Amino acid sequence: MGTANQIDNVPASACSKHAIRLLQTGETYMCGSAETLLQGMARIGRKGIPAGCLNGGCGVCKVVIRSGSVTKTGAMSRAHVSEQEEAQGVVLACRVAPLGDIDLEVMGCMKKTVLNVQCGAVQTGEPSGISK
Amino acid sequence: MGVMRIGHISIKVMDMAAAVKHYENVLGMKTTHKDAQGNVYLKCWDEWDKFSVILTPSDQAGLNHVAYKVEFDADLDALQKRVEDYGIETEMAPAETLPFVGRMLTFNLPSGHQMRLYAKKEYVGTDVGTMNPDPWPDDIRGAGAHWLDHCLLMCEMNPEQGINKVAENTQFMMEVLDFYLAEQVVVGPNQNIQAATWLFRSSTPHDIAFVAGPRMGLHHFAFFLDSWHDVLKAADIMAKNKVRIDVAPTRHGITRGETIYFFDPSGNRNETFAGLGYLAQPDRPVTTWGEEFLGRGIFYHTGELNAAFTEVYT
Repeated sequence: MGTANQIDNVPASACSKHAIRLLQTGETYMCGSAETLLQGMARIGRKGIPAGCLNGGCGVCKVVIRSGSVTKTGAMSRAHVSEQEEAQGVVLACRVAPLGDIDLEVMGCMKKTVLNVQCGAVQTGEPSGISK
Repeated sequence: MGVMRIGHISIKVMDMAAAVKHYENVLGMKTTHKDAQGNVYLKCWDEWDKFSVILTPSDQAGLNHVAYKVEFDADLDALQKRVEDYGIETEMAPAETLPFVGRMLTFNLPSGHQMRLYAKKEYVGTDVGTMNPDPWPDDIRGAGAHWLDHCLLMCEMNPEQGINKVAENTQFMMEVLDFYLAEQVVVGPNQNIQAATWLFRSSTPHDIAFVAGPRMGLHHFAFFLDSWHDVLKAADIMAKNKVRIDVAPTRHGITRGETIYFFDPSGNRNETFAGLGYLAQPDRPVTTWGEEFLGRGIFYHTGELNAAFTEVYT
């Protein structure tokens, strides 16, 4: 038959998916090997997960890897992750991509929003509140 | 005489190649110098001095210092005396401490941020020159930022402990460096605690600003664009370059600026904003925002605060 609209035979996305488990809640999400743990975590759909600078400088997305391996996708500020911490598996979720299945714990400010506890640093009102 | 405008900002970056690419391709700056320590100096097309941004290699992000230019060399001596009489220690760094810059009066603001004042920096000219100039040059790249416009510094505030570095910085800038107050945000049961201030020496709504936070840091530094159209185009350029945008194009209530906030590859926050806002003058009455209007002040259209905007900084 006649040719339909041209569809390029190139995959739109190509990456393997790994299971990432948040140990504190037991929740699991899938994360591709071409995306960072934070990009995958944002797809859980919880409100208030602080996606900060997404460039390793601000420190809000700190997690600790309890099992599994990750690869670094860029530099992490030493003001937020020291060498000792890094040796113990502390990383910024925006700067690592999974090499396989991962178990992790959320730390610091991020922990307070993922586990629905108010982050006490600055008064910004209710996360989903409407101020008129 | 006295302080004229922001002269330059020196920041830490963790990946120098990525940082230079960002400031050149996204903002449109040009590298004008690299020194033996690996620091990179850049300027915008509409600036006439040698550089307005210094990138320094580091394992962290954040501010090194911010520098403001004064009109006359003698102003440095007069201001040194006023700063010291106020109780703040100063050091007069000799010429060429920074390449191409004369002597610099160096001290810390009450909040702890380092500020420098200088009178001389090497003149190189804008990209359109001074003789019968075009309004813009042919080789504009990226957003084509005109100039470095201002910075916003996060200052520690803790009312229970009686700490308010926003108020302390504001008082210092006004009493010692002759800055004027354009706008302020007031909080607290009596609406009398300054939680944020915008101050000027030029005729724009702010040359520096201070906002309360749990720790000192750099919230952002900003570059000037002409109009809303340029803001939209800048956002397109950021998307093309996979830049992390913090706040998509919108308007601030405070300063009336049309704005985008985004992060450089080390997580330092930048702003591109357009519009004069209003004519800032020494006799202009102060604009005040109450605590419950803070959302409207920062995000005029939605009136809602974005948590990352207030909590994330380097």
